[in-house]
Amino acid sequence: MEIDKEKCVGCGNCHAVCTMGVISLDEDGKSVVNQDECVECSTCYRLLRNEGYQPWFVRALRKVLALFRLGYLADVDVCPTGALIPPELKWPRSIRATFSDPTIIHPGTGVGGRGTEEMKTNDVTGRLRQGEAGLVVEMGRPGIGAYFRDVEKVALALARLPIQFESENPVTQLMENPKTGKIKDEVLNEKVLSAIIEAKTTLNKIPEFLQAMEKVQKEVDTVIALGVASRCLPDGTIPHEEWVRKAGYTLSPNGKTNLGLGRPLFKEG
Amino acid sequence: MTNTLHRQGTKENLKGDYVIFATTAVGISREGSAPKIQEFMRICLKYNPVNIGDGKRGNILQDDIEIQKLIAAQKDGPGAAAVFTDLATLQKVVEELIRANLGISINISGLLDGVQECCRKAGLERHSVEHSLGFFGARDRLPEREILEFNTLCGHGLVSFNLIRKMIEYVKLRRLTPKEAARIMGKCCECGVFNPARAEMLLEGMQKKGFLFAEKRGGE
Repeated sequence: MEIDKEKCVGCGNCHAVCTMGVISLDEDGKSVVNQDECVECSTCYRLLRNEGYQPWFVRALRKVLALFRLGYLADVDVCPTGALIPPELKWPRSIRATFSDPTIIHPGTGVGGRGTEEMKTNDVTGRLRQGEAGLVVEMGRPGIGAYFRDVEKVALALARLPIQFESENPVTQLMENPKTGKIKDEVLNEKVLSAIIEAKTTLNKIPEFLQAMEKVQKEVDTVIALGVASRCLPDGTIPHEEWVRKAGYTLSPNGKTNLGLGRPLFKEG
Repeated sequence: MTNTLHRQGTKENLKGDYVIFATTAVGISREGSAPKIQEFMRICLKYNPVNIGDGKRGNILQDDIEIQKLIAAQKDGPGAAAVFTDLATLQKVVEELIRANLGISINISGLLDGVQECCRKAGLERHSVEHSLGFFGARDRLPEREILEFNTLCGHGLVSFNLIRKMIEYVKLRRLTPKEAARIMGKCCECGVFNPARAEMLLEGMQKKGFLFAEKRGGE
């Protein structure tokens, strides 16, 4: 995101809204975006309504109020002068927006944002079959963001396991070679709100996956949200529960349930 | 997408938080999905969701969104979502969706036991399930548990930690009511999975407890 210095009146509303907390006041009292840390999610631009005031008017009003030791408290969801400008992004920076801005449909997946449909369409895709576990490693979430150099560390570690990266996933598509997990050099210094590594393995490899995550988590400077999914047994039993518990981990009481209402229903051969 | 998987909270307050999704699959159910997504949204709307929307066009908490226009504007796409605050209503929505036989995948995010009960009452056995295993990595960078409860209400993490703190502060100073503050947070979330009723309840809870934060960080 960019801020038009001619228009900005330094109200600071965009500072709080910024998902990465990387907008601050410059020495001249105008807001400035730390471009290295901005993930181009455009939340500031979408949320803050342009009130359309002339910058000179807002500045003059403030000066007059200041004379009387008064301040003007604007609504929190406005940009008084419309100073935020979404830039035209070129590769590789454009990848920040495709991963971080959910209103942009990722060209590789047909889904907005950073992942695929995962198990949400498993009833029709058969992506996860009996005996398999879906592994979802979301890096940068909640609220911290992730550089691809950190995403690569995890991808390299997981590639050593008997797992298969999801070919439709946008992170897999950035890999030079999905067998090694190596990510293209040109994107390693790009930062996104979050990036999801998706893979599948057999249920009995879940403990191995969790051991690998325990190790590699110490090497990254961001947070990782982990998820595990599987196709239920005919009586509704969740097969991965047993393996996660065996590995000594706790499962969340909440989660996502696919009701199996998609058609045509995928049938395992 | 792991959108709603990592919603944080106690079992008690998660009881008021169920998100239902219609999701299409490219090459299988995406093509020709517009009328099905519209029907899904109409069915959800009948039961007064606290939020409804889609990732491309926004949700009803946003200023410029008119729900009927939002439904009419649906094209073949990834899908839509709606949020409900109790199982009994969710049950009715599921039953009507079964009758509508839309043929697109339907998922529910929420307490798994409750959702299973809801499925069984409607004559279904769940197809697939995904669990969160929590947070790993640099957990010391995470804020207090209360902040995470608000932040994870948006599936894409678009409600910033700083905005949440600002909203808590504004409620504390009585510049905003919990309802107004919850709505502002919800406006950041694009796809309609933010639960403003739960956010309001969390703010009211903090108000009652004197706005004290948990000592431990959210990831611990």
